[in-house]
Amino acid sequence: MNRANKGQIRIVEAFLAVLIVFSSFTLSANLTVSQNKPQREDLAIDGLNTLTKLDADGSLSNYITNRNWTSLQEAVNLALPTGASFNLTVFDEEMRQVNTAVISNGGFSNQRIYSVEYVCASRDMMFHSYIIHLDLAVAS
Amino acid sequence: MKKLKETFKHNNSGQLLIVAALAIAVLISSTTTYVYELSKETSGTNDSTINESILAIRQSTKNVMISSLANVSNGGTRTLLTENLNTFLHTLRNTHQLGICNLEFTTFNDSGYDEGTRLSWDTTSPATSSAYANFTLQAYGENSRIITKFAINVTTAVAVSGFYITLAGGEKNVSLTCNLKNEGEPALVKNLTVFYNDAGNWTQAGTANGLSVADYGNGTYTVSFRVVVADPVQVSVQILDLRNIFVRANMTCYAG
Repeated sequence: MNRANKGQIRIVEAFLAVLIVFSSFTLSANLTVSQNKPQREDLAIDGLNTLTKLDADGSLSNYITNRNWTSLQEAVNLALPTGASFNLTVFDEEMRQVNTAVISNGGFSNQRIYSVEYVCASRDMMFHSYIIHLDLAVAS
Repeated sequence: MKKLKETFKHNNSGQLLIVAALAIAVLISSTTTYVYELSKETSGTNDSTINESILAIRQSTKNVMISSLANVSNGGTRTLLTENLNTFLHTLRNTHQLGICNLEFTTFNDSGYDEGTRLSWDTTSPATSSAYANFTLQAYGENSRIITKFAINVTTAVAVSGFYITLAGGEKNVSLTCNLKNEGEPALVKNLTVFYNDAGNWTQAGTANGLSVADYGNGTYTVSFRVVVADPVQVSVQILDLRNIFVRANMTCYAG
């Protein structure tokens, strides 16, 4: 290696060193960003919280017992975090579908869908229990 | 010799730079990965889901108890609580929220409880309608196994106190104060009915008796009405709370 090329090699080496350090920063930044993406558990907890909140005063079972699907849809829509898409299905003890109308705030596109199930017990004197299947997705 | 050493040092300084950069990069990446993994472990998101599910199941079991007590206190059979809890367990087994989930219950059969319910209406103050059961929930998630024991007690209690003042013409003005509580907290009434004992016949007080009920919004109700009956005045206050649980309190009013 002659003396004339030596300077150029130094520049290439320094460039490689900077590239290596910079790539490690890029890798670390991506790792942190991926951690902030919505987790399955976050949506599941939001869904469960919503149904638990609505069931706290017995209104969830009241909507179902009275077959008031519009009010149920509105209540779930209000209680869920903004930007969450949902589709809710109600089953009876024998897993027969109870709701006769679609309970949803819009169709899912190609988002990833997460599901939670909630057992709702009515407070009426005539006891009924229902399984609520809630599909959730974060609107893109 | 010294010159040779210097030459070698000069020729390899570039490689040393790259090796040092590589070492720094590895250090940065491994530190970030370690912090990331650590935060993932401590956040315990999976446990949060199970905890929320357990809270949801607890709430649903309370609803079963409320429904059963409402039925029993309105004349239903005592075995209803066990039947309803079994129906609930059957439904719970059809869900797959927690992976494998097993809920067991024991209804309370002591201190006046029969098949998990107790109706202490006529002899005690406050009069109570109560349901009590112990539960053991075993939940097996993907990464965890939780066994939790809890008790649910649903109680509607009403305490009644009162007196009467004799008016001109022998008529008696009865004043009652009722305090309603659900699980020890002030609660509201859905329906309140007052009866008085008129020579052995229980008669409902109404507009003919000038019945007036004042609601203070904190579980306290004052009732007043006029009757012409022999001394003392026996009254029976019958209450249906907002959960449809019935409770009845009898008392004897004396001149105040």
